[in-house]
Amino acid sequence: MPIQVVLRSIFSALFVASVLRISTPLILPALGGLISELAGVINIALEGIMLVAAFTGVIISAYTHSVVLGVLAGIVVGVLFSALLALFHLYLETDIILAGIALNIMATGGTIFLLFTLTGDKGNSSSLASGAVPTIHLPFIEDIPFVGTVVSGHNIFTYLAFILTWLVAVFLYKTPLGTHLRAVGENPAAAASVGINVKRTQTIAILLSGFLASLGGLSLSMAYLTLFQNSMTAGRGFIALAAVYLGGRTPWGTFLAAIVFGFADALSNQLGSLSIPPQWVQMIPYAATVVALVAYNIRKRAQARERARKFQEQQLKELEAATTK
Amino acid sequence: MSRFLDSPTVRSIARVVLATTAALLLGFVITWLVSDDPIGAYKALLLGPVSRLNRFGDWIEESITLTFLGLAVALVFKAEQFSLGQEGQMVLGALVAGVVSLFVPLPAYFRIPLALLAAMTAGFLWGLIPGYLKAYLDANEIVSTLMLNVLAVKFYEYLLTYYIKPPNAGYTTSEKFPVEGVLPSFFPPIPGLENLRRTFVNQTNISVALYLLIVATIVVYYLMYRTPFGYELRMVGANIKFARYGGINTKRVIMLSMAISGILAGLAGAHLAMGIHRKLILNIQYGLGFEGIVVAILARNNPLAIPFTALAYGYLRAGADVMERTSDVSREMVLVIQGVIILLVTAERILPVVQKRVRARRGEDEDGAPPETLPPAPAAAEKGED
Repeated sequence: MPIQVVLRSIFSALFVASVLRISTPLILPALGGLISELAGVINIALEGIMLVAAFTGVIISAYTHSVVLGVLAGIVVGVLFSALLALFHLYLETDIILAGIALNIMATGGTIFLLFTLTGDKGNSSSLASGAVPTIHLPFIEDIPFVGTVVSGHNIFTYLAFILTWLVAVFLYKTPLGTHLRAVGENPAAAASVGINVKRTQTIAILLSGFLASLGGLSLSMAYLTLFQNSMTAGRGFIALAAVYLGGRTPWGTFLAAIVFGFADALSNQLGSLSIPPQWVQMIPYAATVVALVAYNIRKRAQARERARKFQEQQLKELEAATTK
Repeated sequence: MSRFLDSPTVRSIARVVLATTAALLLGFVITWLVSDDPIGAYKALLLGPVSRLNRFGDWIEESITLTFLGLAVALVFKAEQFSLGQEGQMVLGALVAGVVSLFVPLPAYFRIPLALLAAMTAGFLWGLIPGYLKAYLDANEIVSTLMLNVLAVKFYEYLLTYYIKPPNAGYTTSEKFPVEGVLPSFFPPIPGLENLRRTFVNQTNISVALYLLIVATIVVYYLMYRTPFGYELRMVGANIKFARYGGINTKRVIMLSMAISGILAGLAGAHLAMGIHRKLILNIQYGLGFEGIVVAILARNNPLAIPFTALAYGYLRAGADVMERTSDVSREMVLVIQGVIILLVTAERILPVVQKRVRARRGEDEDGAPPETLPPAPAAAEKGED
């Protein structure tokens, strides 16, 4: 396929819509990562929580024939799984990174193990008829050319991603608990000295991030695809973590960063039709993550230097003013 | 008795043994729930590796890979750098070792050392990248190493598919390595023992990597505990701020710890390619990604203990292979056991709590040793200080 066709398809409404669809399983866990990051408890286990929730959703919806039950079960199991992280890190003093790694390993192994036990197949759950969440067609808007294709006809999770980004922003900056949460992450000792219960706040943060990561996992197995595949998260939990840093640790920044990664992923899907070796194309989202991580840290560095320079200038000015008096 | 319990070595060994036992019991409960023949499956898991000579060989070969990976992890974890890049470094190590073994027309005496050296260099360089990014740009090493792993694996697949695979081959594998590119058997040709040697060579792939492993273990121990760099590395791990005030170039230490760790992961790759498979295959890294972490954690990052924890953990893995082949339980159950072991071994509070209870029951004071705590790593990663 010639490059022109690919270019034309990238600038189409369908492509923009696909970016939103592909970004959804990144935005949701990234929001979860943001909350725990701001509370000072880095959640490495996003990947594992997503996997566990994605798996549970598929299995329960297949056996009960109910999408709602599948989603609910996925959320419950995902949150319980994140509760393990809270229990081991906050109450049994496991290093949070090692605990996160352990949970990821357990999630990878446990889901394959159970998938094989239930279906006799280690690859995917295609032998089970699992459910899919409904898509929403916005009345009137869907008739507008271009905008209708981009905005309407997505699955529930994509709309949830937008709404939840807004809700998370409100929660973090406009509610007492959100303020406490950020205070705990900024300086736990100071927060404790004004009477904030640090452990309780961090527990809530980890459970919330587990909830959001579960939604991300479910969006992968019950919307983006409608089956479970072995290790189907494919590093999304970690890319989500990178989006938190790239987004400057703010909700909308994280949201945008996740969309940038979604774009890289969608692009690699499009380029798949060119005669480039597929391995190069598959590298794009991961290479983009490394590049973005580097770019973010270079920028952060420049900003810090700028702040230091301004501070110095101001001090010099004050000193001058004091001496001329 | 209580003094005996307070000795840190005894306590960490007790913790490892307790955690492993608990995890194995959990594994048995799971097997019992899912299997039609749980006793048979668990027997295969626990006795499989010593049931036949070729399985014994699998166990030892696997343990060699695990030792190299464990040493690689211990080096970075000791500096509190959570690099998870061993998978990528190993794959690139296997790639370059394979390329040298296949295509460099030198006699074995030169070709094998050159291949090993190439694998070490590849691992070093692939570890240097996240090390540099962490040290000088403060980029989170967990994220960067995981992304670099995928890039390395895809690059390996690309070269294997388009350049290394013979054009008319059905499977995506390289040619078998020529004899000059295969690690020789560990069994020296001793007169009188030719028959025994032949049995080992025919049934196992245990190679001279076994001796290389002993050397590597001693070198890593020496590096960590007997050199200025090792001292700096441990200081950075214990308290990075204190290390910086003490005049240690912490950035250099962080970068080098990840790069040197890459050398060992590269060797693991060379052993996979030149010792075990003797050709390059797709997914050569399959299932080994995070195994070095368990081995290092079980050894509490002590290099001298790593060969032993690798043997113990390798035994479990080899047993899982036998279990999968001979029963209805899949080998991934071992990953669950592995996760439980990491959680229980690293949970600082579990053993002190038990100890306190025991003491309280005996009516002693509760002034036991204070629970050791790891330095808080995640928060420290945030501050970009110059």
